[in-house]
Amino acid sequence: MNIGRVLVAVMGGLLLTGCATSNPFSNIPVEDRSTQRSSQTTQTAPVTEPASGVVVTPMDPGLGVRPIDVEPIVREQRTSLPPADEVWQPSAPSTPQTPSQSGSVDNAAVVALLDSAQQETAQGDLRAAQTRLERAQRIAPREPEVYLQLADIKRQLGQFMDAEQVALRGVDVASGQSNQLRRLWALISQIRTEAGDLAGANDAREEAGRH
Amino acid sequence: MPKKRVKKGKSSGRQSKKRRSILRYLLNLFFKLSILGVVFCAVILIYVDGQVRQKFEGKRWELPAKVYARPLEMYVGQTLSQDHLRKELSQLGYRVVSSATGPGTVEFATSRVRLFTRGFAFPDEIEPSRKLLIDFSEGRVQRILDENTQQSLALIRLEPVLVGGIYPRSNEDRHLIRLEESPPMLKEALLVVEDRDFYDHHGVSPKGILRAAIVNARAGRFVQGGSTLTQQLIKNFYLTSDRTLSRKLLELPMALAMDFRYEKDEILEAYLNEVYLGQSGVRAVHGFGLASQFYFGRPISELELHQVALLVALVKGPSFYDPRRNPERAKARRDLVINLLADHDYVSATERDQAIAEPLGVRESRRMRSGSFPAYLDLVKRQLLKEYRDEDLSTEGLLIFTSLDPIAQAHADASISGVLAELEQRHGERAGNLQGAMVVTDPRTGEVLAVVGGKDTRFQGFNRALDARRAVGSLIKPAIFLAAIEQGYTLASVLQDTPVELRMPNGDIWQPQNFDRQSHGDVLLITALARSFNQSTVHLGLEIGLPSVIDVLKRLGVERNIQALPSLMLGAQEMSPMEMAEVYQTLAADGFRMPLRSIRMVTTADGEELSRYPFQLRQQVAPEPIYLIRHAMQEVGRSGTARSAYQTLPSALNFAGKTGTSNDQRDSWFAGFTGSRLAVVWVGRDDNRPLPFTSTGGALPVWTQFMHQERSESLSPRRPDAIAMQWIDEASGWLSDPMCEGSRQLPFIQGTEPRFSVDCGQFAPVEEPPASESDSGGWFRNLFR
Repeated sequence: MNIGRVLVAVMGGLLLTGCATSNPFSNIPVEDRSTQRSSQTTQTAPVTEPASGVVVTPMDPGLGVRPIDVEPIVREQRTSLPPADEVWQPSAPSTPQTPSQSGSVDNAAVVALLDSAQQETAQGDLRAAQTRLERAQRIAPREPEVYLQLADIKRQLGQFMDAEQVALRGVDVASGQSNQLRRLWALISQIRTEAGDLAGANDAREEAGRH
Repeated sequence: MPKKRVKKGKSSGRQSKKRRSILRYLLNLFFKLSILGVVFCAVILIYVDGQVRQKFEGKRWELPAKVYARPLEMYVGQTLSQDHLRKELSQLGYRVVSSATGPGTVEFATSRVRLFTRGFAFPDEIEPSRKLLIDFSEGRVQRILDENTQQSLALIRLEPVLVGGIYPRSNEDRHLIRLEESPPMLKEALLVVEDRDFYDHHGVSPKGILRAAIVNARAGRFVQGGSTLTQQLIKNFYLTSDRTLSRKLLELPMALAMDFRYEKDEILEAYLNEVYLGQSGVRAVHGFGLASQFYFGRPISELELHQVALLVALVKGPSFYDPRRNPERAKARRDLVINLLADHDYVSATERDQAIAEPLGVRESRRMRSGSFPAYLDLVKRQLLKEYRDEDLSTEGLLIFTSLDPIAQAHADASISGVLAELEQRHGERAGNLQGAMVVTDPRTGEVLAVVGGKDTRFQGFNRALDARRAVGSLIKPAIFLAAIEQGYTLASVLQDTPVELRMPNGDIWQPQNFDRQSHGDVLLITALARSFNQSTVHLGLEIGLPSVIDVLKRLGVERNIQALPSLMLGAQEMSPMEMAEVYQTLAADGFRMPLRSIRMVTTADGEELSRYPFQLRQQVAPEPIYLIRHAMQEVGRSGTARSAYQTLPSALNFAGKTGTSNDQRDSWFAGFTGSRLAVVWVGRDDNRPLPFTSTGGALPVWTQFMHQERSESLSPRRPDAIAMQWIDEASGWLSDPMCEGSRQLPFIQGTEPRFSVDCGQFAPVEEPPASESDSGGWFRNLFR
């Protein structure tokens, strides 16, 4: 699929070479080999499927356009690989601060607050539960369980828009914790159902099924 | 006279008849007058009684709203240094002692703290007073033990610092106390000095008046008044400033009526809260509760004998005996009170000697509180005035719970004033009268933690954080680059940093320059942002179009009208630090816009909820583009315009930020966030004259100082699933490989990776692919095999 797109882009590029001067990226050197090889490598190139549910923004077609007669870029090889701090990455992925992969909360203070909030919810005192959950959120702002419960309170208060957004924020902080993601999407599905958004509810249910 | 006539009248009968009629007439008159008098007295009594009841049973005082900071939550595993705890407790007026025995005291040891909390009635729950043993290790709370129950506690709350009030026009301030809360000897001292027969008389004390008269006669001048506490209270309550005769005459019946109607203790309690005890600036300090805070910085219940004695001494004349201005006079009168207590056997001779040996021990500051938060209070009040009437705020004694973090506020104040003083010293005349402003939030909750409105952080003045709208300069750039990423650009897109000319609506030609007055040719998008190149930004902005930039700004949180002028690309738009904080908050919160909040809840004086401001948010930008823009904003600190921050900050502390310097260097901005703190800093001059330094020289050092003091958490955003890391050739933006010269790693939204690769022989069959990123250039590698 990608290769197909490359081909389209390159064909487009060929057509556009005449007016390339107006293209802000026209001075980018071109690797001509791609056009020659892409056809024969079609079968070998593993197509990178974008992860489902993610909207992949199509590239600006101008980006791939290069005049055909420019030399490939050749670089020296490094004698040694870049040192660690140059390979600096802003995030160390899959090292969540809270080892709550299983969905269990490890902070005793937050556990206590969540428990009290659940009792208050059971007794119908939703506002008290909300106060307590916001307290928990300040202590553990990256704990998905807090957002899950807070969203559920807002759902019960009939604040569907807020409820959905809080749950989506939960999805945001829960990344990588499939158990929590499944519960959050299931809640979003419920919220959307109650709010009358049946199509959205269906999407959320499917999303829940993926985790 | 009448008597004479009566005698004369005995001489004749006619006269005796006449005499009888006169007598009858007089009796009649007397009778009528008596009735009139009784009626008159009754009317007066009814009037007086009504007055007394109205005041006593209605709203006795105009109570200012109390504004509280956030309470410090303490829990096991929390990052909290003993130093931070010490600062918090000092704001709360805790005494550091060698053995904590009562509420409001604390003992510090190397790795543990014994803390006797005061407790506080929060609207949601009462936090009891507890004696706690808290273990610290490596800057964290390890254990919290309740020493009385010997139970470990998961979570406790300290009482919130009272940071200010919203005062009535009368400028009276008071902190109501109940009689039971008063410390030992307060009642005794007050009675022994002011009204010994209080519990025996009926509101007025002839004995007292007599005694005072004798004392005064002996002394030959006025030394003692004969007024009872009831009379003094009446005077304070009803007969304020104008001392007319009628009012003076009313005092007596009113005292009688009050004594008749109410319990002695009720009257005494009212007295404790009413009496005038000092002056804090324009504000009158009324009642013992507030006076205790004003003179000693702690609650009345924690006062010791000599302190109680001083407050009682002040009743006679808070100005004459002012312990700050006339310490000797105050000490003499205080000791007199202590001696009187001893004379009447309320205290022992030893206690007396100990108390007299104590210094006055009064806080130096005449300001009511140890901290001062004018800019933050201004923000709170503006928000409140949208929902409450000014009158209700200043008279109903409402409780306002805010998210102000006094420690963060102290750090913000210190950073602004410290750096500005240093800059003025270094640049001298050229710096002129520098000003600064700052807004600090928690990026995870959207709560405002601190606001600095100007260099004089203690005084309310022009609140620059809210009201100074200045050109934001390059602070606007993340919005432009974000708009570009949403349109399909990547961090590795190649931009042209070449001269550009724009025709302005008025016909002028505008030729933006880079800061170093050079053009840098082809640059990667990430580099253009990190090093804040103007020319490439303008090219990019023209490419994607102003409407999309404005759309992104609106989604990020700008509410004001933005003019669609090309100069927007370089931040000619004027905005306040608070508005920029809204924008950066959205960038920090993964694209969720959270309207910034400063108030958590408003309750009545009894703690009944009136309004709350819950956590709300809306997703405005997808997490993937946000992840990319934040990556580029981290590069600002790692290799870009803000790299000097790491001279102060530990390299393990990731942050994302952006420098901003407006045209002609009139404004120096920095906005950025770590994992737990977001701060926007502006430095400039009120007269809008150019500065002798840029963003890096002014706002950035303030920001860095602040983050350093806060010891905030590192920024570690989770990488969305649809983000993939790739090795990129720095010069061309093509794919590359760790083994090729000039390569670096950058994140991409899946499907937007470059399609072409540079060649350094990495595609030649090699023994093993590099271990770290084995899939780097994955399909491409196969492509060339």
